[in-house]
Amino acid sequence: MSTNSDYYVTLGVSRNATQEEIKQAYYEAAQRLHPDKNVADGETEIFLDIQQAYETLANPKRRKNYDATLLPAEEPDLPVKYKVYYSRPNLVRMNEPQMLYVLLEIKPQQKSDEIPAPPLNVCLVLDRSTSMKDEKMDVVKNAAIKVMRNLRPQDIFSVVSFSDRAEVIIPAAYSFDKSKLEARIQMLQPSGGTEIYQGLQAAYDEVQRNASSERVNHIILLTDGHTYGDDQQCLNLAERASKQGIGISAMGIGKEWNDIFLDTLANRTGGSSRYIARAGDIQRFLVDKFDALARILADDVNLDFKEIPGVELAYAFRTQPETGPLPLEETVHLGPILQDTTLNVLFEYRIDPSLTKGDLIYLLRGSLKLSITALPTPIQPIQIEFSREVKEQADTTLPPPATIIQALGKLTLYRMQERAHIEVEQGQFELAAQHMKQLATSLLSQGERSLARTALMEAENIEHMQAFTEEGSKEIKYGTRALIMPQEKEEPL
Amino acid sequence: MIICPSCQHENLDGTVFCSDCGMQLTGIDPIVTQNISEEMAELTEDIKTAVLPKDLDAWASIHLVDSGQILPLADRAEFTLGRISEAQPIMPDIDLTPYQAYASGVSRLHAVIKHEREQVYVMDLGSSNGTYLNGKRLKPNTKQILSHGNMLALGKLKIQILLENS
Repeated sequence: MSTNSDYYVTLGVSRNATQEEIKQAYYEAAQRLHPDKNVADGETEIFLDIQQAYETLANPKRRKNYDATLLPAEEPDLPVKYKVYYSRPNLVRMNEPQMLYVLLEIKPQQKSDEIPAPPLNVCLVLDRSTSMKDEKMDVVKNAAIKVMRNLRPQDIFSVVSFSDRAEVIIPAAYSFDKSKLEARIQMLQPSGGTEIYQGLQAAYDEVQRNASSERVNHIILLTDGHTYGDDQQCLNLAERASKQGIGISAMGIGKEWNDIFLDTLANRTGGSSRYIARAGDIQRFLVDKFDALARILADDVNLDFKEIPGVELAYAFRTQPETGPLPLEETVHLGPILQDTTLNVLFEYRIDPSLTKGDLIYLLRGSLKLSITALPTPIQPIQIEFSREVKEQADTTLPPPATIIQALGKLTLYRMQERAHIEVEQGQFELAAQHMKQLATSLLSQGERSLARTALMEAENIEHMQAFTEEGSKEIKYGTRALIMPQEKEEPL
Repeated sequence: MIICPSCQHENLDGTVFCSDCGMQLTGIDPIVTQNISEEMAELTEDIKTAVLPKDLDAWASIHLVDSGQILPLADRAEFTLGRISEAQPIMPDIDLTPYQAYASGVSRLHAVIKHEREQVYVMDLGSSNGTYLNGKRLKPNTKQILSHGNMLALGKLKIQILLENS
């Protein structure tokens, strides 16, 4: 830590932090950096600095004296910058509710090359239930071997397989003798049922042993089936993992697996879930995933905010780097920021007419909390606000920014299928079928012919069988989700 | 309240895409459905003065009205129109797939346009949704003379015939 920074920077809190927040920040730092806990050289020194800062700031009187000596705050040198786009230049005074879309773009800063790529601590959880036999099992094995060959010397890697119980195939360690480890993966034989919790628990134990804040701690689950009866246990485990900075991502193979469950599971930790239609794609997705993990700048970015009466956050969706809806809680896990890719999240707000009596409406007042994976020092939470002025007339001359139109146009398709699912659940089959047909038309007009065909087939299936097919529903869900992803990769910064 | 011009769904103010049918509501000019049959005569006038692509030996061009694309017909005397579909060996001379042929109900082998003795003909090839000339459905497998500016509809896909020597 440089000597000229102030205690607030050291502790990673803002200057107007409450005593409670200061205490909280200190405890969090102590969890990671206390001499009993820390693992890397130099972390004890960082902790001593933090302790010194805390001792001053925790005492209101000493804090006041210290504050008097402070120079005005400099523009903090943050590793990320954020930008906010609004769908409209202002809100309108009116008697009915209105909508506003906000796109939050969090960009890594230019000097990201000064921050080293973080070492990994990853566990692969492989489903070896009977349904995985033949081609799928072989492809999964080969994919696991492929990513292991790609590992760097600093990466810690483990493999767990599960059916109705779990075995640790490769315990978490640096992988030196890769050919020996490969043989162990090759010996996997499919048999038994699918109990995801068993596998996750074993993986959690492996990752947790080496979990540290400067590694990317992650569990990747590959499964092709439903889990029965242990859903809640899995979710509780995800909650625990999230608190320890361990992310979970899921990849569902084929059509049988429970997408809603795996989405929820991954969302608890800021991870992501993917649909793999063909076994042949497993390797590519897995290699991509490892590649993304090794490019992480900040592991799990959290957005904290207090609800504002009259402002309803109706929807939040991450459009980049990995697409998916985000659960709406007081802390939203936004997921990781990669070193070369911005993190984009689209928010949909519904604003109550009572609020438009004022001249300025705040939609969000909160803070972004993140820590740079490869650097152990805490970072001040980044204060963040969404607000719009209220005017008498809508300014209709300006169309929404292109980034919003683009993201929203594709997101609309995803939400149409989402709604059709709800309608099927509620027994409104005619409506659901009609909406799937509309989705097919929209997909066609955007040139997505094969997805459109699937949507039409699902519409027919809903009309006749009153349900989606397992395969078609996943294809459309993840297909429309994939459309949201920008087609071209951004130039590395 | 914004009423979607496409499906009449009521959306809250500020909505960018209709939550029912997905149509974009703000930031574009509203799309107005136009009735073209009444104004055929005028339209033909317009086209006559329009500049045709000067393709060397094109004897006619087809103008895809919805997309504005103009495809010249040259080099041979007969062109089949249709759409290529996967796993079917049928290959029309002009594949209309890029112009929403599937959604418009164009058959795989829909119609043929011929150039014979200084005349241009159209013939429906027994398509499922029919070929219409200026709004009238053609009998399958029967030649019909085309003149400049005629509107053809293959299913719902609208095509205007532009003749070179007019």
